[in-house]
Amino acid sequence: MTSGQNEAANTGSGAASALSCQEIKKSFQGVAAVTGATFDVPRGMITALIGPNGAGKTTVVNILSGMMKSDSGAMQIGATDVTNWESYKIARLGLMRTFQLSRELGGLTVLENLLVAPKHQAGESLLNIFLRPRLAKREELENTKRALEVLRTYGLYDLRDNRASELSGGQKKLLEIARAVMAQPQVLLLDEPMAGVNPALIERIGGYILDLKKQGVTVLMVEHNLNVVEKICDHVIVLAEGRTLATGRLSELRANPEVVQAYLGEVINASTTR
Amino acid sequence: MSAFWFYVFTLVFFLFDYFILAMGLNIQYGETGILNFAYIGFVALGAYVTGASSLPASAGTGQQYIMGWGLPFPLNLLLGGVAASLLAVFVALIAMRRLRTDYLAVVLISFSLVFYDITNNYVPLFNGADGLYNVPEPLAGIFKLTTNSFVPFFAIVTGLIALIMWWAMSRITKSPLGRTFRAIRDDEGVAAALGKGVFRYQLTSMLIGSFYAGIGGGLLVQFGGSFNTTSWLPAETFVVFAVIIVGGVGNNVGLLVGALLVETLLIHLPAFLPDIPGHPGLIEYIDTIVVGVLLWVMLWFRPQGVVPERIRKTPLALLQGLKSDRSTNEEVPAMSISDGAGVNEEGGVRD
Repeated sequence: MTSGQNEAANTGSGAASALSCQEIKKSFQGVAAVTGATFDVPRGMITALIGPNGAGKTTVVNILSGMMKSDSGAMQIGATDVTNWESYKIARLGLMRTFQLSRELGGLTVLENLLVAPKHQAGESLLNIFLRPRLAKREELENTKRALEVLRTYGLYDLRDNRASELSGGQKKLLEIARAVMAQPQVLLLDEPMAGVNPALIERIGGYILDLKKQGVTVLMVEHNLNVVEKICDHVIVLAEGRTLATGRLSELRANPEVVQAYLGEVINASTTR
Repeated sequence: MSAFWFYVFTLVFFLFDYFILAMGLNIQYGETGILNFAYIGFVALGAYVTGASSLPASAGTGQQYIMGWGLPFPLNLLLGGVAASLLAVFVALIAMRRLRTDYLAVVLISFSLVFYDITNNYVPLFNGADGLYNVPEPLAGIFKLTTNSFVPFFAIVTGLIALIMWWAMSRITKSPLGRTFRAIRDDEGVAAALGKGVFRYQLTSMLIGSFYAGIGGGLLVQFGGSFNTTSWLPAETFVVFAVIIVGGVGNNVGLLVGALLVETLLIHLPAFLPDIPGHPGLIEYIDTIVVGVLLWVMLWFRPQGVVPERIRKTPLALLQGLKSDRSTNEEVPAMSISDGAGVNEEGGVRD
C-alpha cells in the first residue's frame, strides 16, 4: 500500500480544495462542541478526520453536510459558498454522506435504498407520472440497471430484495456507502465507515474507498483506525477539543508533539517500540 | 327495491367511499409518515364545497352558504377535491415547514378543532351547526332516479370513482415519487442527505391525500344529501386511521379490506340492527368500544395490518438481462492491510 506515501496533499485553498471550512463554531446549550474548525479537503484525495472522542468530528461532519447549522464560520464546496445551506441543497451540489450509526431506509428493500439516491428523477414528479410515463419508466430502468451493478460491486446483489432493516451491521455499512455512491458524489463524507465491522470487511471497505478515489471522488472520512488511515489516506486533519490541531500527512503528524499528546500518544509508542 | 338491497348498497357505498378516504390518509401517513390528525377537516371541506357549489344560490333556500352556483356533477365533486388540496397547501405552509412528526400531529389536531369551531359557529360559511341539506342528488334528473334507485346507482358510481382513484394511486405509489415518500417516512434526515427536498415532497403528499379526502367527502354529502358538523367531529379522523391500521398501512388492497372490516361491518352494519330493548343507542356506543379495542388489538398483535405492505421486488425481466455477466464483478477489492506495517488486526485506537 503506497498511497500513504504519496505526494503531500496540497492543502491550499481555492480550486484545489473540494471542500473547505473556516472557523466553524457550534455549541449545544452552552457546551462548546466545535470551537474553530478550519481545514481544506484536497480534491481527488482521501482525507482522514481524526481526534479523540468528543473532539467534535461528527458535529463537523453534520455541519458540513448541512444536517446541523453552525453558530459561525463559513464553508465552501469547490468555489460555492454553502454556509448553513440546507442538507438537500448541499447534497445536490454533489456532497454525500454516511452516518456513524447506520441509517438505512429500513422499510425499503436494499435495491430501493439505492434507487432513492439519483438526483432529479423524472418519476419523482407527479405530472411526469401521468403525462410522461415513458420518460419516467425509461429512466427508472436505467437507474435500476446501474443500482444492480453497484450492488454487485458491493457484494449486496443477492440481498437486493431484502428489506434493509434485515441486514447485518456490516451489510448496513456497505449499503450506506453503496447508496451514497449511487448518487454519484463529488465529495463523500464517511463517518466512521469501519466502526464495528470485522477485519475482513475493513479491508473490503478500504478497497472500495480506494476505488472511489480512482474514480475521482474526494473522500473525507472520520476514522479511529490509524492503520487504515496510514494505508489509504493521503491527508489527515486532527481535531481536538473542537478545533483543528494540525493537518498534514500522518507521518508528519507523528512528529508533532501536540498531536501525539492529544491523540496519537499510545499508538505511536506502540508502533515505534515494535 | 327491497329494504335489504337498500341496506346492502348503502354499505357498498360506505365501503368504496372509505376506501377512497383510506387511500388519501395512507399516502400521507402510510407512505410519507405525516401524522395528519386533521384529516377529517379536509374531508369536511370537500363535502361542504361539493354541496355548496351544487346547491342553488342560497337566497330563498332557508340556508346560508357561500358559492351556490348550481354546479353539475362531477364538476362540484372535483371542486371539492381541489378545495381540500388548497387547504392542504395552506396548512402545510404554516405548519409543516418547521414542525416534524409528533409536534406536527399536535398542531394538526388543534387545526382540526379550530376549523371545526369556525364552521360550526360562523353561519354564513356553511350554515353553521345546521349544515347543508337538500344537496341535489347527482345525475338523478338525467337517469330519472327515484329516492330508492338513487342508492344503488350512486353506490356503483362511487365504486367506479374508487376504481379510477385506485389506479391513479397505484401509479403514484409504484413510481419513484412513491419510493421517495417512503424514504422520507423511514428517515427524512437520510432523504434530505440524498438531496430530496423533504418539504416539497411532504407538500405533494398532503396535496394528493387531501384531494382524495375532498372527493371522499364530496361523495358523502351527495349520497346523504346533507352534511353538518356532527358528521365530522375531529375524532372521526381516528376512524380513518383505524381503517388503514386494521387493513394494512402502505398496501392499497389492505385499505379496501380495512374499509370493509372497520367502516362497513363494524360501524355501518350495526346501525341497521334493531335496538336492544330498553337501551336505545347502546349498540352505537358498543360499536365505538369495539373499534377502539380492535385498533388496540391490531397494534399489539399485528401492527402490519391484515394485508401487510408488500416487498417491491426487482423486476424479473431486468435480472434475466443482467445475469449473464454476473461473474465479472465477483472480485472484491481490498486494501490489504494485513501485510503492511499495521498495528494489529483490530486497528489503532479504538474506543
